[in-house]
Amino acid sequence: MAGATAALAAREAGGRVVLARKAPGSSGLSGGAISVAEDPASMPDTPFAARSGVVESARRIAVTRPGHPYRVLHGRLDRLWTALEFATGQLSSVLAPPSGRNRWLLTPFGHAHAAAACARSMAAGDLAEVRGPLVVCGFEGHLGWDPWLVASGAERVRSLGAPETLAVRLDLFRWEDAALARPFDLARMLEAPGVAEEAGRLLRKALPRGAAAAVFPPVLGLDPGARVPERIAAEAGIPVAEMLSDLPSVPGLRLHRAIEARLAAAGVEVLQGEVRDASGPDVPAAVGGREVVARSWVLASGRFVGGGIERHGALMEGVMGLPVLASEGPFADPSVRFAGRSSASITLRDSRSPQPLLAAGLRVDEELHPLDAEGRTLHERVFAAGAVVGGHDPASDGTGMGVAIFTGWLAGRAAAGRAP
Amino acid sequence: MSKVRSYAWLAWRAVVSHPLRGLRQRGTGRERFLENYASEGLAPTTAGERAAAEAASACISCGLCESGCALRGAIPSIRDMGLHAAFRLYSKSAEMLARSGDALAACASCTGCEPLCPTGVPVAHLVRAFAARSGDFDATRRDPAGPRR
Amino acid sequence: MAGEASQGTFDVVVLGGGVNGAGVARDCAMRGLSVLLLEKQDLASGASGASSGMIHGGIRYMTSDRRVTELASRDAGYIRRIAPHLTFRIPFLIPFATHGEEATLLDRLTWYATEVYVGTYDLFQPLKGGKPSARLTAEELYAVEPSLRPGLHGAVTLDEWGIDGQRLCLLNALSAAAHGAQVRTWTEATGLVREAGRVAGVRWRDALTGEHGEARASVVVNATGGWSPRWGKSNGVLVPMRPGKGVHLSLDRRHGNYGIICTAVDGRQMFLMPHEMESIIGTTDDDYYDDPDDLDATAEEVEYLVEGVASLVPSVRQSRITRAWWGVRTTIYEYGVEEDDLSRDHRILDHAAEGSAGLLSIVGGKLASYRAQSEEVTDRALALLGRAALPCRTHEEPLPGGDDVPVASELAEQHGVPEAIAARLVYRHGSLAREVLRVADDDPRMKLVVCRDEGIIAAEVAWIARHENVRRLQDLRRRCRLAVGGCGGLDCARPAAQVVARELGWSADQLRAELSDLLEVGWRERRPVLDGWQLAEEELLRAVHRGLGGL
Repeated sequence: MAGATAALAAREAGGRVVLARKAPGSSGLSGGAISVAEDPASMPDTPFAARSGVVESARRIAVTRPGHPYRVLHGRLDRLWTALEFATGQLSSVLAPPSGRNRWLLTPFGHAHAAAACARSMAAGDLAEVRGPLVVCGFEGHLGWDPWLVASGAERVRSLGAPETLAVRLDLFRWEDAALARPFDLARMLEAPGVAEEAGRLLRKALPRGAAAAVFPPVLGLDPGARVPERIAAEAGIPVAEMLSDLPSVPGLRLHRAIEARLAAAGVEVLQGEVRDASGPDVPAAVGGREVVARSWVLASGRFVGGGIERHGALMEGVMGLPVLASEGPFADPSVRFAGRSSASITLRDSRSPQPLLAAGLRVDEELHPLDAEGRTLHERVFAAGAVVGGHDPASDGTGMGVAIFTGWLAGRAAAGRAP
Repeated sequence: MSKVRSYAWLAWRAVVSHPLRGLRQRGTGRERFLENYASEGLAPTTAGERAAAEAASACISCGLCESGCALRGAIPSIRDMGLHAAFRLYSKSAEMLARSGDALAACASCTGCEPLCPTGVPVAHLVRAFAARSGDFDATRRDPAGPRR
Repeated sequence: MAGEASQGTFDVVVLGGGVNGAGVARDCAMRGLSVLLLEKQDLASGASGASSGMIHGGIRYMTSDRRVTELASRDAGYIRRIAPHLTFRIPFLIPFATHGEEATLLDRLTWYATEVYVGTYDLFQPLKGGKPSARLTAEELYAVEPSLRPGLHGAVTLDEWGIDGQRLCLLNALSAAAHGAQVRTWTEATGLVREAGRVAGVRWRDALTGEHGEARASVVVNATGGWSPRWGKSNGVLVPMRPGKGVHLSLDRRHGNYGIICTAVDGRQMFLMPHEMESIIGTTDDDYYDDPDDLDATAEEVEYLVEGVASLVPSVRQSRITRAWWGVRTTIYEYGVEEDDLSRDHRILDHAAEGSAGLLSIVGGKLASYRAQSEEVTDRALALLGRAALPCRTHEEPLPGGDDVPVASELAEQHGVPEAIAARLVYRHGSLAREVLRVADDDPRMKLVVCRDEGIIAAEVAWIARHENVRRLQDLRRRCRLAVGGCGGLDCARPAAQVVARELGWSADQLRAELSDLLEVGWRERRPVLDGWQLAEEELLRAVHRGLGGL
């Protein structure tokens, strides 16, 4: 997401953009949520207790977490909203516009997750907006999602304003066809003519009085053009949404495809391959059999999955060999050789604690230039964006996509020469 | 006292019995070793196999490759286990490889899977390589599990 | 199995659900005694669940008393007989290395001695269905194992059996229950009941429900393993032991098909060996004085193990290490001796002299000799009870699933499951794999594949939850290795939790708490070895379980 946002922002600023990648980014693995900032004052079990706006929550994080990218960029957080609108606008085929306050979306684990923006197919499932009973659906013929468990995510916070729920299993598929199907297969099956309508009919029969919305497993079609949620909703007479997805993720694949399509439509040249001889801007770099010379570089190579940050006995940044540092806490001291420490020494026993190893990445300044251990800028026209930037744990601290989009947008515009 | 006896016995083995046994044995050490374990599929691992294993170890079980597989819905054993089982259960041991031959052989080499892998597992190449090896060993020779000989 | 009338009178109460405790419970129950087995966590939570997982024939005893080797090999044969589905062959290579470039005369003599020693062990192999050894020249060695570093001069091969120690424990407990024993897991013995200088029973407390009670018995067997010294202290008896911490590492797949004996930096013998679906590196041995419930692998231990193997197999540094795991050996106490030189023998202590007549403790021993050790303890228990000495039959009667083991390919076809899945089912359940698949026959949805590392389908999770003493989700790590492989539970934890919750009637909150616990346990094991692709896996795991799951 960071790379795509940077490329699209640079294109919009008039730049000629080449996007080099060795593998598709982690967008295909996302669950459908664009998490930007949870209100630090709201506890996991009281999601509706605090209703701060998303940008305000980001400002609070900038204060409470000194190493976080929001802190580094705290002087520019007034542009966070514009960045979110930009990214969701570019990908409007799959993403709903951002909401000023966090949406609360159910997950297969029986949890309500906060997201400032989300897939289009999920917006109607916002627990804070459903006014009336919420029907949580599963499939009778497939054990992959348990609607009773999913519904418990809302039940837990009933007293705080979440809607009451009803868990139902729709006997939609023939068991021999569907019982062992993987999510992508179920999604395709739902695209077939008549299937979505049948789902809608079964849902309508199961609706309690006054039902306000229904939430389905995240397999409502692979192609947004097949309009699976819309067809179900039309037949059932109530809004229909997907829940967030774990892996394999159909919403993730939709997002990945939408990004590919948008990059192509915007005229971004995509080169497949590993970047070699990456000394920096103005020097030719070999990628995918081509030689590319670029005035500015944006490193949006991701964290461990993306391969932007690797660890083979020690932490290293994969493309330019930039120093990997800790951004806060005892390991941030330059005299500490953080990158070389054992994994046991930079993780904590309690998995719920913040883990320095899992927040490792590049240190950046307010302009998103990578810094060395002494805090010196390494190059005026090299920028870093997304998970390759350290100081946050994109996997679990609820700010991953927000950082990716915000830093991507800022870096893309700066790289194209647009004044900050 | 028994320690002395044990060492004496071992000394006898070293000087007499072991060399005599060596004279009686047929075939080279390697031949005898490999023959011992052929029926279990416990064969040497070549450098190529090790390289394939290392490439397969990059699989992080995200399942994205499955969405690109053209045969996915058609073959039950592929559909049930999912394509990336090839880099997990199927390729963890020679026995598993032998038992997964059908699923692996069904690959149509459409390579729709490879561009989707976020960690760069050469999906289609590995499936073909594993499929080629799955016939090396007949897993049914391991059945039924039980005291052999 | 748990619950009804554990408040009652028994002949024997066994404390500890490791392989000795389960083995003793089985033998006592088979010989007609009424038995209660109490385990404060889950079966095989201690050394039995963290051993190298081998049933070997006591090769090292040929220097002291070859009858011990004979007995050990014979007993290994018995274990194969009663659980044939659970054992698998591991061929080992013992390479000949030199310090310098050339082999000295001393080197050659040492190698010859090793060759003779291992060749002599061949005399005992038939007792356990083992293969004879072979001497490999340098050229042959590299043909057989190309990943070895250059400069080796040959090797001798050795055949041993591997086994899943956790399932071995479980099967013994199930067999004990089938013969009338009561087995309570997650239930701790909180104190001995004494009357007139004798032990009269134990008080117990269920850690999950808080229920407590008293079980009366004239014989109590302390098989608490590494917890014995602490347990003894709180119960007024002395159980001398030198607990030895041992750490292993797991690779995500088999590195090769042969075990390789290596020498660590301090000269200790260690190994890289294939074990079921992975390869294992082991092991360390350090005196451990702290709480056995509070162990972690240190960075030093991890590097020590990797370095030791890398000295012979450099490519191991490119392998994906998925986790580190550990346990505490129950080594017999001896002062002034290095850990490695301590006896691996076992001893049965009678605490009558300490005012606790009726209390026996078993210390020391090996997984491989559990059956013989349990037989001895049962003999002593019978003597204490003054009962007629019935013959032991634990070497004859198959463990559950050990009789009439089915053919995996046939099962696969009959029940419409992938052959690889059928094979894993047969490995874990033997003849009972048929029963597991019947669950899937009744409900085809239960063929949903839950785990792609170990080949687990929903039907197996349900069956295990119903029949294999499952009280917590983490128990499934020991029953079927759920979430133990490289994936760390990424695609298997939630579906399995859903199945178990339905079987055991958990609330949604309980399900989530159990999931959280399962993941926490896994994190502890993965944390010391996060590197390469395993670290990328961890990123995904956190995203799904912490981020999406809120666990």
